Amino acid sequence: MGKKSIHDWRPLRIMKISRLLFILIYVFSRVPRFTTALMYLLRPLYEPTRETWLNRKFRYGLLTLGGGLLAPEVFRAYGSGARAFVENFNSVFRAHKKGEPIVWVEWILNAEILESFYVTSMCSALLNIFANVESMAAPSQIIEEAENQGTPVEYCSAMKLNMGAYLLHQIPKPDLIIAGSHPCDTNVSIAQTMEYVTGAPSYFFDVPYWKDDDSFRYTEAQIWEQIEFLEKRLGKKIDWERLKDMLERVNRFNFYLGEICEMHKAIPCPGTMINLGYAWVVREVSLRSPHALAMAKGLYEAVKKNYLAGKGVVRHERVRVLLWFPPIAFFTYLFKWMEHEFGAVIVADFIGQVSTVPIDTSNKETMIRDLARTQMHLAMGRQCHGPVEFITDEMVKYFEQYSIDCMIFTGHQGCKHGWAAVKIIQDICRERNMPALFLNIDIMDQRCLDEQGVKNEITKFFRVQGWA
Amino acid sequence: MGVMDVFDTIKAISASDHNEFLDAAIKGGAGVIGYFCSYVPEEIIHASGMVPYRMRAVNSGGTRKGSVYYSALNCSFVRACFGKVLEGDFSFLNGIVFMNGCDHIRRMYDNWKYADVPPDFRHMFVAPHVTGDTAHARFTAEIRTFARAIEGHFGVFITDESLRESIRLYNKKRRLLVELYSFRKGKIVPIKGSEVLSLMLAVTMMPVTDAMALIEEVIAALPGRAASRDGDIRIYLASGCMEEREHLELIESCGGAIVADSMCLGARHFDLEVEEKGDPWESLARRYLEHLSCPRMMNEFRSRLDRLHRTRDEYAIDAVIGEKLKFCDLWGGDLYLMKQESRKKRFPILLLERELYGGGDGQIRTRVQAFFEQVRNNIYSDTGIFRAIGADRQAGSN
Repeated sequence: MGKKSIHDWRPLRIMKISRLLFILIYVFSRVPRFTTALMYLLRPLYEPTRETWLNRKFRYGLLTLGGGLLAPEVFRAYGSGARAFVENFNSVFRAHKKGEPIVWVEWILNAEILESFYVTSMCSALLNIFANVESMAAPSQIIEEAENQGTPVEYCSAMKLNMGAYLLHQIPKPDLIIAGSHPCDTNVSIAQTMEYVTGAPSYFFDVPYWKDDDSFRYTEAQIWEQIEFLEKRLGKKIDWERLKDMLERVNRFNFYLGEICEMHKAIPCPGTMINLGYAWVVREVSLRSPHALAMAKGLYEAVKKNYLAGKGVVRHERVRVLLWFPPIAFFTYLFKWMEHEFGAVIVADFIGQVSTVPIDTSNKETMIRDLARTQMHLAMGRQCHGPVEFITDEMVKYFEQYSIDCMIFTGHQGCKHGWAAVKIIQDICRERNMPALFLNIDIMDQRCLDEQGVKNEITKFFRVQGWA
Repeated sequence: MGVMDVFDTIKAISASDHNEFLDAAIKGGAGVIGYFCSYVPEEIIHASGMVPYRMRAVNSGGTRKGSVYYSALNCSFVRACFGKVLEGDFSFLNGIVFMNGCDHIRRMYDNWKYADVPPDFRHMFVAPHVTGDTAHARFTAEIRTFARAIEGHFGVFITDESLRESIRLYNKKRRLLVELYSFRKGKIVPIKGSEVLSLMLAVTMMPVTDAMALIEEVIAALPGRAASRDGDIRIYLASGCMEEREHLELIESCGGAIVADSMCLGARHFDLEVEEKGDPWESLARRYLEHLSCPRMMNEFRSRLDRLHRTRDEYAIDAVIGEKLKFCDLWGGDLYLMKQESRKKRFPILLLERELYGGGDGQIRTRVQAFFEQVRNNIYSDTGIFRAIGADRQAGSN
C-alpha cells in the first residue's frame, strides 16, 4: 500500500496523528488492566515483527508504552502524560488557527516562564520523538528533506528533524523563539538559522561553561532579560502569582521524579527507566499542564509500591545497566525489550535522571534565582555544557550508587563533543573493569544503525559477558 | 631587505610553527602562551610579559595521533593540532589558553589535561555566545579571571597601566593591518590573499613589536606592486579555520584575487580597536565581544551578513567563496545563511568543504574553475556545497 510522499503531507499532519493517538492512550489508560492485557495479547502483531502497513501507525506508540509489559498503574500514569500532550497540542492548534502568538521554546530550557504570560508555548523539537508515530522511515525522510534544503549534514539529527519539520509545515511558524547555546554547536548554529528562516525574534540564552555561583548568577541575569524580552514582544506583564503556582508544581514534579531516581538504586530495581524517559518528554513538551504533575505522581506511587514490597520491575533481575548519552528516540522500546529478553534493567540513564534543586517561591527574586539553577540542572544540558568532568563524574557516581554491572554508550553521530571525549570515557570504564558497549548510532536516524542492528549489538555484547 | 625578500620571509615564517623572532624572545627570557581563538584577548598575555602564540597545525604529521583521543567525527584541525601537541611540537610553550570556541576545540582542554602534556599552565577561557550588556559584564569578569590566573601562576602583576600600554600597541598593529587591507580595495591588487594569510600566520606567532615591523615592511613594499592580473575575479573569502596557504594559491591560480575576508586569521583578527579611554578591562571586553564575529555568536548573524554586503560594495567583490572544515556545525550553519542571502541578493557564491591539509586539490581546482567561468559568463547557478574528498593527500597525512 503506497505511503504518502512527505511533500504531500498536510500541514501539522504528524502532530494531529500524534494527538489522536494520545487521546486514545488517555481513554484506554482509564481502564489500565484491560488495556495492558489487550496490548499484551496483541503483541504478535507488532512486537516481534517489523513495521508493516498493518501496524505502522500504532507499532511505535505501543512499543513505547511497553508493549503490554508495563504495570497497569504505570500505564495509567502514562495516560495523564498523554493528556498533558493533548492539552499542549490543542493550545498550539488553537493559537495557530486564531493567529495568536506561539512561542517556540527549544529543548532543555524552561517553558515555565511562558505560563505566566498566558501564551502558547511549544517545543519545536517534538518531532524528534513523534515523527516515529508516522512511520519508521518518517524521521529519516524529514532529516533528508532538511539536508536537501541545505541544512548541514553534520548537524545533530535532532535539529535536522527540527528544521525538516518546519520546512514541511509539520510544526507551526513561531512568533517568538527562546533558544540556548547548550548542549552543543548544533544548537548554537541552528538557533540562528531558525531565526533567519522564520523571521521570529529570538532570545538566546548563553549557557555558562561552569557550574559555580558566578555561572548561576549569569543565568539568573539572563532570565530577567528574557522576561523583559517577553514583556516587550508580547505587550503584557508577567503574572508573578501564576509563575509561583507553576513553579510549585515544578517542585512537586521534580520531587516525584527525583524520588523515583533514588528508588532505582534499590536491588532489585522497582521501576523501568522508560518511565523517566517518558517523563522527560512530558517535561520538554507539556510541563505547564497540571496533568504532567498527575503523571509524575502516578509514576512515583507505582514505583514506590514495588520499592516498599522489595519487588523488581522484572522477576529475575540479572543485569543492571547504565544507559549513557541520549537514549535512542526511534527505539524507545529498548528499555522493556532488554528487561524482557535478558532480565537487564536500565536503572539510570543520561536523560531521565532528575538531579535538580527546589525552587524557593517566596518572592520574585528567589523564584528567578532558583529557576536559573534548575535550568542548569536539566538533563543533557547539565552534562554537556561544560568540561568532560560533568559527563564523567556523573557517570562514575552512578556506577557506584546504582550498583551498575555494565554501561551502554549511545554514541550519537551528531554529538561531536561527546565523540571528542570517548577515549576518556572508555579509559574510565576500563580502569573500573566496567564492561561497556559503545554503539555507533544516530539516535534519530535509523539509516546509521536501525532497531534490529541495535538489538544485535546488545545481544552480542550480553553474550560475550555471559548474560545471554 | 629587498622588495621580493619580505614576501619570501613571511612565506618561510608561516611554513613553520616557530621563527627567529619567537626564538629570540624566548632566549631573552620571555615566556610564550599559546591560544586558540580570536576571542582570547592577546593584550592580557602581552601585559603579563609573555608572547601570545596563535596555535596552528602547520607541519602536522597528520591526524593519526590526535585521532587516538578524538574521533573521525571531529574536525581535522583539532586532530592535526593535538597530534602536534603529542609529538612535543609545542614544548616551547609556558602556558596554553583554551576556549569554548566550538565543541571540537573545547574538548582540547579536556584531552590535553587528560594526556597531561606540558605546559602546566592550562586555562579554559570562556567567551559568551551572545553580545549585550549582560554578556559584556560577564566577559569583563572572565577577562579579569584570566589575568588573575596568569598572575597567580607566573608570579607577575598586570596593572591597569601595563594593560593600557598593551592595548595601545595592539591597536597600532590593528591599524597597520587595516591600512594593509585598504590596499586591496583598488583595481590592481598589490598583495595576494595567500600572501596575506602567510603574513597573518607570521604575525600571530611573534612579539607584537616584531609583528608591527614586519607589517610595516610589507606595507612599504606594496605601492607599485601588482599581484593580481587583469580579469581576476575579486573574491570575498569567508572561513573559520584556514591556515593552508597552498589552498589560497590554488584559488588564485584559477583566476581569483582574494581581496577581502571574514577569517579568524584575517579580518576577524584585527577588526575593531579597543577603546583607549575609560576602564581598560571593560574596553577590552567590548572589543573582543563585538569585533567581526564568528558563527559561534548567536545574535550576531545579521551583523555578519551586513558586513558581507558592505564589504562586497567596498571592495568591489565579484563573488564569494565560503569554506568550512568537515564536521564544523558552526560554519555549516553560516554557509547556509550566506547561501540564502546569495539567492536573495543575487550574488555568486561557491561553498567548499575540505579537510585541513586534506588534499583534493584536483577536485577543488575543477570546481573553482567552473565557478569562475560561471561568474565571468554571468550565469548564476544554485549548486550546493562542494565536498572535496581529498584523494590526493600528501603521504603521511590521515
